[in-house]
Amino acid sequence: MSWAGPEDTFLSTSLATYLDKKLLVLLRDGRKLLGLLRSFDQFANVVLEGACERVIVGDLYCDIPLGLYVIRGENVVLIGELELDKEELPPHMTLVPEAEIKRAQKAERDATDLKGSMRKRMEFLDFD
Amino acid sequence: MLFFSYFKELVGREVTVELKNDLAIRGTLHSVDQYLNIKLENTRVVDQDKYPHMMSVRNCFIRGSVVRYVQLPPDGVDVELLHDATRREARGG
Repeated sequence: MSWAGPEDTFLSTSLATYLDKKLLVLLRDGRKLLGLLRSFDQFANVVLEGACERVIVGDLYCDIPLGLYVIRGENVVLIGELELDKEELPPHMTLVPEAEIKRAQKAERDATDLKGSMRKRMEFLDFD
Repeated sequence: MLFFSYFKELVGREVTVELKNDLAIRGTLHSVDQYLNIKLENTRVVDQDKYPHMMSVRNCFIRGSVVRYVQLPPDGVDVELLHDATRREARGG
């Protein structure tokens, strides 16, 4: 990611155009962080102000506030500009409190673990 | 440098970038850099229902290290030109 010169402003891959904008940052571990971009560098290290994690489980979601975050660039998958005049999420999704989304996350994790362990038991039986 | 130069030629074309986390994003190639980081405009996620959080994202920056594929329009590739450039690079390198 190069530092843009004045002639590069329109065709640069610099994150400078995203400064002070509300962004969605996707991380390699699947987390979705939202916040205002305050700083960045050539490694895509990023400083987000007023960051929150948007946790989505099925049709439920919750924004968990995190504060001022420095994100190491190697964890960054994608940085998306959130259009202010567009709905950030489909209308059928419900905002729930943090405690409820944590419960839903745990339930989803347990279901995945159960599926995994059931599969392991089936593998032993050697079905094709 | 070869692929960087090649992608610079494709700026303005519609491409679909498939990421290592299986997310696929269609958009207009706005810019590319030496790390093959990509900026897309007018983006639409391929499987929108699976990725509701991407709903209002219309332009994005994609870190080069997380790209699996860049799907190009078939008429976007002058294979002969690419082939020649590759042979030249191989000879020079």
